[in-house]
Amino acid sequence: MAATATYADRQTKTGVVIGATYEGRDPALLERMLPLVDYIEVTLETISEMEDGELRLSDSVMGELKNLGNAVQTIVHGVSLSIGSHEGWSPMYLRLLDDFVEQVDVAWHSEHLGYTKVDGQHLGIMLAMPRTEEALDMLCKRVNAIQERYRLPFLLENIVHVVPDCPADYSDAAFLNALADRTGCGLILDVYNLECDAHNHGFDISAFLNELQFAHVRELHVACGVEHNGLLLDVHSQRTRSSTVELAQRVIRRSPGGIKVVVYEFMPEAIPGLGHTAIAEELARLREAFTD
Amino acid sequence: MDLASQQRKLLGLFKSTYQIHADDDEYIQTVAQSKHLQEAKTNIFLWRVYVLERTCALTFRLLKRLNLLEKTISAFIMECNISPFRETQAPAFLESLSNHDDRLIASVSQFELALLKIKQGDPGSYVVPWTVEPSAVLYSLANDIPLKEKAPEGAYKTVISGDFPFDFVVRNVD
Repeated sequence: MAATATYADRQTKTGVVIGATYEGRDPALLERMLPLVDYIEVTLETISEMEDGELRLSDSVMGELKNLGNAVQTIVHGVSLSIGSHEGWSPMYLRLLDDFVEQVDVAWHSEHLGYTKVDGQHLGIMLAMPRTEEALDMLCKRVNAIQERYRLPFLLENIVHVVPDCPADYSDAAFLNALADRTGCGLILDVYNLECDAHNHGFDISAFLNELQFAHVRELHVACGVEHNGLLLDVHSQRTRSSTVELAQRVIRRSPGGIKVVVYEFMPEAIPGLGHTAIAEELARLREAFTD
Repeated sequence: MDLASQQRKLLGLFKSTYQIHADDDEYIQTVAQSKHLQEAKTNIFLWRVYVLERTCALTFRLLKRLNLLEKTISAFIMECNISPFRETQAPAFLESLSNHDDRLIASVSQFELALLKIKQGDPGSYVVPWTVEPSAVLYSLANDIPLKEKAPEGAYKTVISGDFPFDFVVRNVD
């Protein structure tokens, strides 16, 4: 596919640009998205395939990403590093990331601040870290090791609390502040996750934002899931709600110049239901909301 | 409670392998009794549904048709260590059904697993036995339409290989 513009060409009034999930194997969707986004977010767990009994990056998807040239910047957003597992992170994820960064220029990479496995057993879901000194010390060592290994900016994202919060040494914002202060890592603020926590657990978003040091926040995520049995689920299957967009705008106003990109996230399984046209319309709407 | 203990107990609650004790930490008791834990388990189930519906459509549709989908996916979640890598989930699911007591489920899952391997470039050839004529069954599952009439019983096999124009052929065994 021929690139028609480069990300460097685009300037916005707010300094913020738009990004979107792209998991490969859908060139028609990519063609609709490219004029509307400056960053493509890639998840290695989705672009990996089994080959001879081993997980490897898909040759065809890697080919697509290499062909993007200067049309957009690529950011890697992991799911399975499991940086918070007591026994250690996933070496498989880092092996794939090693392979990826050798082939594609990456602006930065990121992970979720949580864990997906315990003693090698996959939970099937991601759980948030307890905000204790023990957890913070462990996370700081791992973040430092990752930054040393890749020499790329590394960001961590606030995730939804799927079970009630445990007694903590830090508030949510203070924990993120301390982690970023001690390691120099950046933060992704998933605005929809904040809304889920507010809806499901009575989380005080205003208090959180008042305490958070915005200098660390480089990226925002917007998405939308569904409500089930009275709880808001983080399934990334819908167009964003206006409340999510307004909350993200509120965050951007408090962080002039810090936040680089707002990424609209949707899972590959949601694409047939959403449709390419709705995704393109959503990206156009977000561009208008965040870049003008 | 230290990090390792907390994570192990939460894993046990999610896998339903940990029974709460009276002297358990108050936090673990709160989680165990919360509606959030039950809803999170539903969430895990829905994630598997989303992925398997897309990645192994034939077997998924057959199980749905037989009203066995919920029971089968729930058992898969409980018994298998499911990786977050999407591409590993369908093979693991299909493998778990390949010796199913229902011969049709076993045949369809073996067939679909072989087809996945061939589409990923596996140069091998796979033979799957059937106790009914497979063509009409596979056609109805692939197109998600009801079977017009009961498939004829008999000994058949499908041979799955990248050497065939449509990656497989149906043969009568005799």
